[in-house]
This record gives sequence, C-alpha cells and structure tokens, in this order.
Amino acid sequence: MKGTIQVESKNPEATIRGLFAQWLKDGKLSAILTPAYSAAGTATVALVSNPEKLAEAAPLLPAMGVNAASIVDEIARDGSPNAKVGLFLRPCELRAVVELMKLKQIAHESLVLIGVDCPGTYKAAGFRNVRGKDADFDNKHVRDQAGYADNVNFRMGCQMCEHSKPLVYDLNVGFIGMDPDTELWVEAASDKGKTLLEGSEIQEQDEPDSRKQALEKLSAARRAKTARRIEELDKAMMGPEKLVEYFADCLNCHNCMKVCPVCYCRECFFDSDTFQRDIAEHVRVSLRKGATRMPSETMLFHLTRMNHMMLSCVQCGICEDSCPVTIGLATLYKKVSQNAQSEFDYLSGRNLDEPLPLVTFRESEFLKVGEE
Amino acid sequence: MANYEPKIVGFLCNWCTYAGADLAGTSRMQYPPNMRPIRVMCSGAVDSVYILRALLEGADGVFMGGCHPGDCHYVSGNYKARRRMVLFNSIMKSVGLDSDRVWLRWISAAEGRKFADTITEMTEHLRKKGPSVFKEKWEV
Repeated sequence: MKGTIQVESKNPEATIRGLFAQWLKDGKLSAILTPAYSAAGTATVALVSNPEKLAEAAPLLPAMGVNAASIVDEIARDGSPNAKVGLFLRPCELRAVVELMKLKQIAHESLVLIGVDCPGTYKAAGFRNVRGKDADFDNKHVRDQAGYADNVNFRMGCQMCEHSKPLVYDLNVGFIGMDPDTELWVEAASDKGKTLLEGSEIQEQDEPDSRKQALEKLSAARRAKTARRIEELDKAMMGPEKLVEYFADCLNCHNCMKVCPVCYCRECFFDSDTFQRDIAEHVRVSLRKGATRMPSETMLFHLTRMNHMMLSCVQCGICEDSCPVTIGLATLYKKVSQNAQSEFDYLSGRNLDEPLPLVTFRESEFLKVGEE
Repeated sequence: MANYEPKIVGFLCNWCTYAGADLAGTSRMQYPPNMRPIRVMCSGAVDSVYILRALLEGADGVFMGGCHPGDCHYVSGNYKARRRMVLFNSIMKSVGLDSDRVWLRWISAAEGRKFADTITEMTEHLRKKGPSVFKEKWEV
C-alpha cells in the first residue's frame, strides 16, 4: 500500500504526530520511539506511550546526538508479546538496526520499523543556537532542505550521506520530492506497515517521478561531495607517516566505539584484561623501540576497530561528533567502509536476508588469496 | 639498518601448516630461522588484532598458514580466514599501509618442502623490501 496523506495547516510534523496518536489510541502500537526536544531544546529521543504526551515528540527534528539504533540495542535485545514498539527512525538509524538484527543483538518480534526521509541533521550539541526559538523550525527544515544537498552546517556524516530514503522499513514516511505543506508520502512494505495505514485516508498512487528524481539528485550530489572529501582525506591520511599523524591526538577514550551503533560487544576486547600490562611489561615493550607512546596502542585500537566493524558501518558519522579531539572519523570511515563492503558486494543495512560477509563464504571466490 | 634480519611472526594452523613445519624439520630441510611460529587451532581463529599488533610493534612480516581450501579440520575455518584476509587487505589499502608484508598460504601436513620454500621466499622478499617503518616508529 502506497500513496499520499493530506497535511493539515502546512504542518507536516503535526500530521505525523496525528498518525502517532491514532496508532497509540487504536492499540496498534504500545509505544513509539521518536526524536523529541530535550528540556534544553536540544535533540533527544523519547519512548512515548500516552497520546497526551505527544506534544513532546518531534518526529522531524533535524538534529542527532545519538544514533537511536544504540537505544534500540539497549531496549529490544529480546522481544515480548506484551509490547509492540514503533521505531520512528532516520535511514542511517534503521540501517544500523538491520545490522544489529543480523548480529542477533535486536529481536525483530516486538518492533515495527517506521522510516522517515532525512535530508541531513545538525549536531545535537549547539542545536539550540541553530534552532533559536523557532517553533516551526522542523517544518521549515523539511520544506527548505529536502532538495538542498550541500548544507555545510550539517553533521559531517550527513553531508556525505546518499541514503536519504530508508532502505529497509515496514512503513516509510517521506517528504523529499513532495510538497510537504500539502501532502506526505507513505509506503507500506510489509503487513506490519499495512496495518498501521489501515483506517487512514490515503490517496493511493505510485511513487511520483518528482520524488524519485529528487532523491536521485540528492544522492548524486552527495556522492560527488564524498568523492571530493575523500580526495582531501587521502592527502592528509594515506601511508604510515600521515596515518599516525592523523590519529596523533587520540586520547584513547574509546568514545567512537561507545557511541557506535553497530559496535555491539558487551565488553570491548580493548577494555578486557588482554590489554592490561603491569609496569615491568610496559618497560619491556618500551625497550623494543626505546619509547612507547602513552596511552599505548591507540593506532592498534583504530585499525582493529576498522577490521571488526567496517562491514557493518552505516556511515552515520556519530563517531566524529563524539570525538573530543575532533579526529576526522566520518570521512575516514566512509572511505574505508565503502571500499571494504564493495569487496563483498555488500551494503550495510540494505537487506535483512543478506548474510553478513564474515559469516558466509563461497568455495569458488577470492581464489588468488592464499595462492600467491 | 646495517644488520637487518627480517623478523616474521607466523600463525600456523595446528592441523596442516604446523604439521607441515614439523615435517620440514624432521626431514632436515634447511630454511631461514627468521620466523617465530605460533601454533593456533585454525587460520580462521586468527583475529586481525594479532596481525596488526605484530606489525605495529615492529615485525617485518606476518605469515599465516592454513589448510588448503576444502581441507579445513573445522570444515570452513580457512574459507572464513580467506574472507577476513580480503577485508584486511582492503583496509590496509584504504589507509595506505603495506599489506605485502602479510602473507596467507595454504600448506598441508604433507607439504614440508612447500613450507620450507615459502618461508625462504618470504624471508628473501622482506630482506629486499627492507625493515618495516614501524620498527623504529614509537608514536603508534
């Protein structure tokens, strides 16, 4: 089922809130995980269960402090017959949810995936200054940014994002290539999604060409920007000398790992006893080169993290936002993960049925590896 | 470096390559003593972190030996090692590091000759390449 729904009084955000209210009242969902304004007017995420409280929900809020897949990972490790939670998430968040489902960290059972278009977001930190006191900020964002590919104030991950429409969803709520003052695009891709749309007034139709073209144009512009950014990155990062310089300020705080939605181990290998050395051991290692950088093994941490996570990386860039010494991780991980995933014709979060590249193999592939 | 001798860290699968190394030894085949063997249960059990740690701490090369494809004692461990190697090489290339210092080879328990030849070849290869940049670089 796909088509458009009417937007009342030029307020798409309120229209989506209206859908939320309906779903909660009808008991189709017991709660909805949605972006919301924090007490300080910045971005947070709320699990709303009472339709009366929906005023706090801001489904189109264009700021991101955390990739909400991390939250889903916390709350939905197991399903329950007593809960049906709608996840109202951005494309990169849904992609991470899909990866975590494949990694058996999230149970699909109690969840309905509702994906919203996203032309890009601001960092949550400082967002209150961007938004000011403008109550209509979210709707303006949807109106003005949907066809605009090059907002340099967006988060770095967003500036290079080519997936403004969700890849996997039960229900897609869209506005790119539409006139969001009058109508929104809705598309159910499963029975769960169809159930949500039942009872709503939908003008059934195929996806308008204007929407397809707008999405393609946005992706093309972002791909071009990504190529330019990677070209600059290569000048600053390629090779052992520059790579070590690139990570020279690393504090070993492991924030990039902690905020990463797809970094799923309950205890990181790098926080384990394997990396605890006593003082004699430190001296012994230091003697090898005459000196050891402290904190030690930061380069090992980053290179290993790449090896462990790049096939599931959804390129949300939340790692860069969380880095206290502003290491340019978003562009670096964009490049490394794109290259790594293309080796296996894989795209993270594209398809729930596509196996993770490292849990499968074919006998007649990569025949040169190991032979020469 | 005047007296440069390549230092190789080797991860040898218990069922094939380690036994191949054993055969090379018991058959009194000569090969350079530059590799430090570490016996692992399967080439599929070697996480990239161990390869990277060896390289960053100054090893000139890392050698990984496993059973021939189709012969894995655990059925598919070496196929997975092969995929992981593809990933490893891709990442090394993306950041401009030299993946030519990391060799994966299939050597069976019967191939003592192949084992001795491969280690000789790798040692000579690394001798030509010269020492790894991370041998001196302490800021990693």
